[in-house]
Amino acid sequence: MSITAVPPQLAAAPPDKGIRPRRWTRKEYHLASDLGLFGPEERLELLDGEIIQKMAPGGPHAAVVTCATEILTRAFGTGHHVRAQQPLILTNWGEPEPDLVAVPGTPFDYLPDHPKAADAQLVVEVSDTTLRFDRSRKLAAYARAGVREYRIINLLERQVEVYRNSSGPRYRSVTVYQEGEAVSLYAAPHVAIQVSDLLPPQEPHS
Amino acid sequence: MSATTGHKAPPMALSEEEIRPRRWTREEYYRAADLGLFRPEERLELLDGEIYAKMSPKKPPHVTAVGHAGDILADLFGPGYHCRAEQPLVLNDLSEPEPDLVLVPGTRFDYQTEHPTATTALLVVEVADTSIRFDRGRKREAYARAGIRDYWVLNLPKRRIEVHRDPAGSRYRSVTVYQEGDTITPMAAPHVTVRVSDLLPPPPVPGE
Repeated sequence: MSITAVPPQLAAAPPDKGIRPRRWTRKEYHLASDLGLFGPEERLELLDGEIIQKMAPGGPHAAVVTCATEILTRAFGTGHHVRAQQPLILTNWGEPEPDLVAVPGTPFDYLPDHPKAADAQLVVEVSDTTLRFDRSRKLAAYARAGVREYRIINLLERQVEVYRNSSGPRYRSVTVYQEGEAVSLYAAPHVAIQVSDLLPPQEPHS
Repeated sequence: MSATTGHKAPPMALSEEEIRPRRWTREEYYRAADLGLFRPEERLELLDGEIYAKMSPKKPPHVTAVGHAGDILADLFGPGYHCRAEQPLVLNDLSEPEPDLVLVPGTRFDYQTEHPTATTALLVVEVADTSIRFDRGRKREAYARAGIRDYWVLNLPKRRIEVHRDPAGSRYRSVTVYQEGDTITPMAAPHVTVRVSDLLPPPPVPGE
């Protein structure tokens, strides 16, 4: 008998070909919701067929979402509207609820169906605790669905990240704007938005 | 403006336990099944609140190895026990996997109203070919946490058996690899031994 511990490199646990989390279609996801399988307090989104539990946003996150909604609504002007934390249809397997989505038309234009990736002029996530997720799986899902412009308002590093030119699960172009700089919108190039206006005021060091 | 066109923004070292799949309880999992949410052909199991789908159809080598090992183990334990193949095992409120083999005391009719639980299972066996990483990863953690005392992975590609004992938290303190030629004694049957080569199907004939 040979007693050897399984070498650590054999002990990895990424999902393999034989088994993986069950993927839900949008239809099944909505059916489960309609049948009352989810509790009323649950905040969920569907990403790549996975039902993800969302965290209750913290104070800075909520404040920035509210503030950015106003700024973007003004910037886009009439003919567009900005939806905060509402569903966006990406694919048959994806229906996340981005922090902000700017779409043409009025809210009533998106009845009975939510806006689709092609309707989105801009998708924004406000990231603090979810930064890594927003830069990886969320980004890949938006890119694959062809979301033309994705921005991360990065509260941790106090910057705005602009992702454009989607190609497969990536964006070919990434531009980072720091405080003191201004960002413009692809759909409204004449409007300049100060990065600092999108961030919470910095706490004075005491 | 600092432009870094074509590059990914630097990754952040951040623990993000906040983002996780919705967890299903066993009760919700059953309700979803009763309400017809799953397709009849789906092979699912609930592990730590996540519903997993087995992707590949059952292949002959796997089915053969499970059937054969099941027969050997049933013989080994003898009357008063039976071996269940690919049937639900209740680990806790969030886990109900379907291990390849579970050795339990009593007759099948003892489990007519409730599936066996982690405390009834004397031995859990997974036959690993395509699922080796999962069997050594999430599955193993779930079995350890549930306190499964004796967990064997029949590693078909390597023709060996990995025996996990002494669960502590989500790990097993003891992992012993038995090669062909070795014998194993199940914890629940200290008076018997089984040869690794008897538990595994015959090796493939070279050239086939």
